[in-house]
Amino acid sequence: MRATTLPFTVIGGYLGAGKTTLLNHLLTDVGGLRIAVLVNDFGSLNIDAALVRSHAGDTIELANGCLCCSLVSGFAEVLSRVKARAAEFDHVVIEASGVAEPLRVAQMAQGFGFPIDALLVVVDGERIERQEADKYVGDVVRRQLRQADLLLVNKLDLVDEGRRGALRDGLNTLAPGVPRLEMVRGQVPLPLLLGRHLGGALPSVLSDALPGIGADPGEAGQHHGERFETWTLRLEGPLRRSALERFATGLPAGIHRAKGFVVLAEAPDHPQLFQLVGNRWSLEPAEPGTALVGGTALVMIGHRGAATKEALQAFLSDGGRAGATWPSAGVGGC
Amino acid sequence: MTTTRASLIFRGGTILTMVDAMPRVEAVAIADGRILAAGDEAGVMATAGEGTDVIDLGGRTLMPSFIDAHGHFANATQIVKWVNVSGVPAGPVTCIADILRVLGVHVAAHPVMAGEWIIGYGYDVTNLSDGRQISRDDLDPLFPDNPVMLIHSSNHGAVLNSAAFAAVGIDASTPDPAGGLILRKAGSSDPEGLIMETAFLPIFGAMPQPTEEELLATFDAAQQIYARAGVTTIQEGATNAKDLRLIRKGGEQGRLYLDVVCLPLVLEVPKLVKEYFPDFHGGPMDLPDTAAESFGTYRNRVKLAGIKCLIDGSPQGKTAFWSQPLLTGGPNGEPDWRGQPLFPPELIHQIVKELAAKNIPIFCHCNGDAAIDMMIDAARAAGITAEQDRRTVIIHSQFMRPDQLEAYVELGFTPSFFTVHAFFWGDVHVENLGRERAYFLSPMASAIAKGLHCSNHNDFSVTPVEPMRMVVTAVERISRKGEVIGPAERISPWQALKALTIEAAWQIREEGEKGTIEAGKLADLVLLDADPTAVPTAGILDIAVVETFKEGKSVYRAPVSA
Repeated sequence: MRATTLPFTVIGGYLGAGKTTLLNHLLTDVGGLRIAVLVNDFGSLNIDAALVRSHAGDTIELANGCLCCSLVSGFAEVLSRVKARAAEFDHVVIEASGVAEPLRVAQMAQGFGFPIDALLVVVDGERIERQEADKYVGDVVRRQLRQADLLLVNKLDLVDEGRRGALRDGLNTLAPGVPRLEMVRGQVPLPLLLGRHLGGALPSVLSDALPGIGADPGEAGQHHGERFETWTLRLEGPLRRSALERFATGLPAGIHRAKGFVVLAEAPDHPQLFQLVGNRWSLEPAEPGTALVGGTALVMIGHRGAATKEALQAFLSDGGRAGATWPSAGVGGC
Repeated sequence: MTTTRASLIFRGGTILTMVDAMPRVEAVAIADGRILAAGDEAGVMATAGEGTDVIDLGGRTLMPSFIDAHGHFANATQIVKWVNVSGVPAGPVTCIADILRVLGVHVAAHPVMAGEWIIGYGYDVTNLSDGRQISRDDLDPLFPDNPVMLIHSSNHGAVLNSAAFAAVGIDASTPDPAGGLILRKAGSSDPEGLIMETAFLPIFGAMPQPTEEELLATFDAAQQIYARAGVTTIQEGATNAKDLRLIRKGGEQGRLYLDVVCLPLVLEVPKLVKEYFPDFHGGPMDLPDTAAESFGTYRNRVKLAGIKCLIDGSPQGKTAFWSQPLLTGGPNGEPDWRGQPLFPPELIHQIVKELAAKNIPIFCHCNGDAAIDMMIDAARAAGITAEQDRRTVIIHSQFMRPDQLEAYVELGFTPSFFTVHAFFWGDVHVENLGRERAYFLSPMASAIAKGLHCSNHNDFSVTPVEPMRMVVTAVERISRKGEVIGPAERISPWQALKALTIEAAWQIREEGEKGTIEAGKLADLVLLDADPTAVPTAGILDIAVVETFKEGKSVYRAPVSA
């Protein structure tokens, strides 16, 4: 199948976890991105009527350039259609069904030639303990958790302060090593969800503030800017692949996304695009004509206090060797 | 007062009524498409008048024609344009040369234009004596200019020729997608032919679809798949909005001469409500109070019998949902695999509750015992009981547990079993589940002993339309390797035939019109060349349909052999 460059994000998680709420935020505040959102059922998506430009069959076109497409015609048919219109969009987001395995959905999307951006799994913080113990859906809920690149733990406002420790311990056991981000009512900055667009037209804007950070007051009265932080790192000259691997896999837990350009010592004439979400990271050839800085330039986003810029810079500069002493910011609280 | 005279009388052979109290009669009289009389010859002949056609059965067997208790008519409209490359006995193939031969025969009979797709179905390397997959190099010399796709029997893959690879854009540079396979030629990255799973899915999604006119034009050939097997009531057992439109149109245009029972798919309900009840505004799963009026009545030979729900997948694909793990792991090598439901239980509860509240019959696909448990829970939560006589059909009910039969009795559930699995996949089930669980596959004897109405189905096009294979597998339950899959669940040929006639009619509330030979019922009949209740069981599969009648009119007659 001919490949496309349209990045593909899977949003999984059990029924009621908050996937739809998350999508609603996304559709109303897309920061200029044109997103194709694939959902199982329009009925549960509460799209602002003012935003709807046209509605035909199983497709709703939005005034902001986004598109909502129901999967009722079948996954394969809908993906074929979106792929045929790839030039009209910047990103595809699929809301997987409540019992779907995100990995299978991602594999099918890869079969269509979509590069996978991330497997995000929304967790119902209030009910996850009951769900994973359920005789019917326990197995699939646990598989969903383990398959995530990043868990978005939702409804923290409904979990007593005293129970949050147990919830975190439980998730550590159910999904060991899977990074987590805690949230309330699906509030999470756009660059964290759609990391391919982190930093916009890298690298010239590396020093600019990221869209969505510090600008969104959020329903729960929390400010993303208070919870999240961005770091920009630079390194002159090329980097060995092994050093990059150590760097990417040794980052502190609170770093959720990274994007940038890397010049590898093994292929200095072919700059690479580096992307990271949770435990997933990838390198792909940078588009020809990309304005290059002659070395490595990365922008990262994570929980405020997850690391200092100096420590991250040092970690990159020494080839990922000195990462043992990150501050224990962990997933960060609400 | 005028006395109705018979237009047609059958006599002189075996006539199986499928009525327990009087299993055989000597003669049957037909008038106006219905059975006028059935009984001793003298009594029936008394209805004869001038112009009555008296047919001597010549020792052959007449019985009620068969009712397709579950299958997919929409597939028939597609498949009649495709080539059957299944292995024996589902198709004609034992080797690669057979595949090339049947493809050649097909294009000779149905000439294709340059560039037009040629599609085969039922391909499986395990049926080939060659010991290898068929490759593009086998297909290219015959079809240099036409893309060929041989769809795998699992429907999860296909073999393509070079023209097809070019058309879909797969070549040596295409990487294997995760979770998929592009088989390569030895020592090369050139695709050899077979592609599976995630490599196949996008191609299937992008295939050119036949137009409505093209599909309508297949209706005669599609109905003949059933008529030549003696089936006169067909099921479209997972109807989407588009197919319902097509089938209704076929009915309006007078293209249907067999009855078609449609079960709109629950996923399509919001779309159907919008289409047929444009003024109704409710939640995604809400139904108008008058929705039930759309069900239960034939219009132009098309009837909606209920809503099709589904809870799990297939046992041979390991996507059914069991309470205990398989012995052989999951479809992707997962250890401790017991499958999973297709929908959260909360959603199933909501659907069952709404359908029950609106008095719409439910036909629910459940293969594994955990899927059945979910349906039992949902029905109890919705307040469903046997006394309400809802006739909730649990399609497949293949891997029940013995204790679930009690729940079926309590809730008025009625199983539509799938005994041909004992032949086609019985050995696989023993391997995956062990003998104790595999032997309770489609437990017809136990269900009948509990007083449950049970039908039996082919699930066409999962298996071919073969009523006699349903009978023999219900009677013998013998696998391909010769193992009896559950000796205790074998039933008599008479019981097996009831499952294809009166019991299947009861499940769709047509027991007053179809399923037995009794005065007043429709003259839906099949003439067989032997009596399935009298021949040795080994001979049941050889019984052939001589003629099929729908409401007294011949809809199929076997070619007279030389």
